[in-house]
Amino acid sequence: MSNPIKLEVLTPERMVFSAMVSEVQFPTAQRGYYGILPDHTPVLTPVGDGLVLYQQDGQPHCLTVFGGFAEVGPDRVILLARESETIDQLNPEQIEKEQQQALAILKEAKDEATLQAAQRQLDASLIRQQALGKDTSH
Amino acid sequence: MANVQDIRRRIKSVKNTQQVTKAMKMISAVKLRKSQERLVALRPYSTKLDEVVHHVVGRLRAVPSLQPGPVAQAFLSPREEKNIHLLLVASDKGLCGGFNANVLRAAQSFLRECPSQVAHFQAVGKRAIEWAKKQRIKTDAEHTGLAVTDLKRVASEIAAQAAEQYAKGEIDALYVVFNYFQSAVAQVPTVIRIFPVEIETQVEFRAETPHLLEPDPNEVLEHLLPLYIETELLRCLLESSASEHGARMAAMDKASSNAEEMIAKLTLNMNKIRQASITNQIIEIVSGANA
Repeated sequence: MSNPIKLEVLTPERMVFSAMVSEVQFPTAQRGYYGILPDHTPVLTPVGDGLVLYQQDGQPHCLTVFGGFAEVGPDRVILLARESETIDQLNPEQIEKEQQQALAILKEAKDEATLQAAQRQLDASLIRQQALGKDTSH
Repeated sequence: MANVQDIRRRIKSVKNTQQVTKAMKMISAVKLRKSQERLVALRPYSTKLDEVVHHVVGRLRAVPSLQPGPVAQAFLSPREEKNIHLLLVASDKGLCGGFNANVLRAAQSFLRECPSQVAHFQAVGKRAIEWAKKQRIKTDAEHTGLAVTDLKRVASEIAAQAAEQYAKGEIDALYVVFNYFQSAVAQVPTVIRIFPVEIETQVEFRAETPHLLEPDPNEVLEHLLPLYIETELLRCLLESSASEHGARMAAMDKASSNAEEMIAKLTLNMNKIRQASITNQIIEIVSGANA
């Protein structure tokens, strides 16, 4: 199985992922998904929050991504993400804790800004849990 | 002449000070490494982002039909600079050589020569805040006690505020005064303009074919530029943090070696005095026996 696309995921804090893959799907800022196969036309597009799905050696894998930018070329996908984690960088207990925290704030908070922040935290923890759920398949 | 007991006391106190400076040097070295690691980790990200921004902005400047949004306009057709937003980055603590003094002096000379009005001013670090008070500059926001892990949050806050102020027409440019981290021993106070960025009108297209901008150029710019401002600010803050620890390490290293020197001098002095008093006593005994 050949892997002709180079997938790179960068955040301001570190290089999260870099490997050759055969297919990539990433979420866009418009709540859709962008699928990339080899020899895709060059594209620049904003990235949304969600899961990046990719195929490596015929196996599906995923990682999380939160906002940022994607640069796509015929043989590469470079994701400049605000935040991103691969499965093994996620900690289930930590996510659970963050989720409970966000839920607690959502119940009590009154002003709009805190509510929004808590909602964002909740969404992020749900995405991370989803990523972990996908991982149990292999 | 001071007696031996006094000098012994002095040596002890200098030794104590030396212990403190040595410990501070060690702590700074560790913190410096942490900041530096983050700075290095940011590099591939910021280089790539820089490339993308230059590519997009360079290409879209040539398109007359484009109706850019307010933030995008900042990059495509800069307004005349009348009001600016200034961010001054110094440290919370002293004992780091010329670190704060240099950056504050740079800020002062920038203000003196800058023709435009400072509409908004933000200070990072207690020293910067104190300086602003002394200069009677009103600060919008003050940031103190920031750990390296907080810098990202602060950078995105400031970026969002600046973008909003630009959109409202309150400011025309965003400047940062900070210490550029040249190496662990050399920090250069620097003033840079974060936006509008200066881009050469003729940009080489690195890409094989020009990139499609999805969903449309405007949307791309509106997402890309805040990200760019944020990243640049984060880089400045990290540079400053690395510089601070570098400067403190150098200062404490100097202090430790000075203490070492002082101890050596005092010890020599003490021995001389001790010998002198012994010699005196012998002379007294000998002359007493002769008499």
